[in-house]
Amino acid sequence: MTRFEAIDLTRRTLTDEPVIVNLGHAAYELFAGGDRPLNFYTWGSMGLTSSIALGLALARPDRRVVALDGDGSLLMNLGSLATIAACAPTHLLLVVLDNGQYGTTGGQPTPTSSDADLEACARAMGVRQTATVRNAEQLERALEESRASAGPWVVVAKVDESAPTVKPPLDCVYIKQRFMAALGEGSGSRTP
Amino acid sequence: MNPTEPRVAGVPRVPAIPPWAAGVADGLWDAGCRDVVYVPDNPLSHILAALERDHPGVRTVLATREEEATGIAAGLYLGGARPALLMQSSGLGNTLNAVGSLLLAFQIPVLMVVSMRGDAGEWNSAQVPMGRAVRPVLDALGVSHLSVDRGDEARDAIVSLAQLAFGTRLPTACLLPRRLTSPAGGGRS
Repeated sequence: MTRFEAIDLTRRTLTDEPVIVNLGHAAYELFAGGDRPLNFYTWGSMGLTSSIALGLALARPDRRVVALDGDGSLLMNLGSLATIAACAPTHLLLVVLDNGQYGTTGGQPTPTSSDADLEACARAMGVRQTATVRNAEQLERALEESRASAGPWVVVAKVDESAPTVKPPLDCVYIKQRFMAALGEGSGSRTP
Repeated sequence: MNPTEPRVAGVPRVPAIPPWAAGVADGLWDAGCRDVVYVPDNPLSHILAALERDHPGVRTVLATREEEATGIAAGLYLGGARPALLMQSSGLGNTLNAVGSLLLAFQIPVLMVVSMRGDAGEWNSAQVPMGRAVRPVLDALGVSHLSVDRGDEARDAIVSLAQLAFGTRLPTACLLPRRLTSPAGGGRS
């Protein structure tokens, strides 16, 4: 299973879920599969995909929130798994697209290409609903399960690197404004 | 985190909440901040205590690192909240790329409340370089900041920085110097 196939399969299961996607190749391939206002493409802040998704899940208990992270990115912010476990938003799904490399910066290997195990990390930090999947059928099953039973869920998808051909919009403010509008938050913030 | 007051066996430590901390908490409430993401520091514990006592409607989220906290705060804003981020000045150093490439690039407002180390009253030389760099770093990024010098200024400082942040969609920073939070003769925090 390539990363593009994993992203595409995940994308096709979505209805009105907001998606926070890691910068670089993951964002490019989510966009390539089909752009939508509810996709929040990051262009920097490597490591924070899961944290942004957690914050959104805390603010919006009414919406299932999906994060598409990478192994290199999550390795920068392993504490996020502990915070996700402690906050325990039942409606958060974190998919880690684990290709064992820094795909966007030229394919340098990450520690998951040797012995590092991000599902074990999630479990060790207290996340109870976890899976590691290695093909499309397993991913499909894990995504179904993540819908059927309360999370937070961490699904590590072992993927091969693929070659993105297009990029999402570069205008960060545009990405944010349409994302918030699609969530019904207008262009500003709620005043209590 | 070093406790500022020794614990006496059998006597629970119930520190009085100083006026500046109550003022910060009131300001957060009055500014509509209902979500506070934090990495602990001794002075900040007074603000958290004031929130718990006076504004229990404010949700607090403990993060493991300030950069992570910045991401959580950004997500809270995307979901419609007006988030505040509490951290020590040393931790501000951990947030910088997130402040640049997430908050500023996407125009995501977050009100940062920063307890200072390395300024007047400091005793730990390791805290001084980052402490001295706080203002120049914020200026270099273009993050507006002001310092609270008296307890009775705290509420207004927070409310006005929140107005600037959430009104114009920019992060802002409220600095709490050691002379405010740990006056001379106070403990080593």
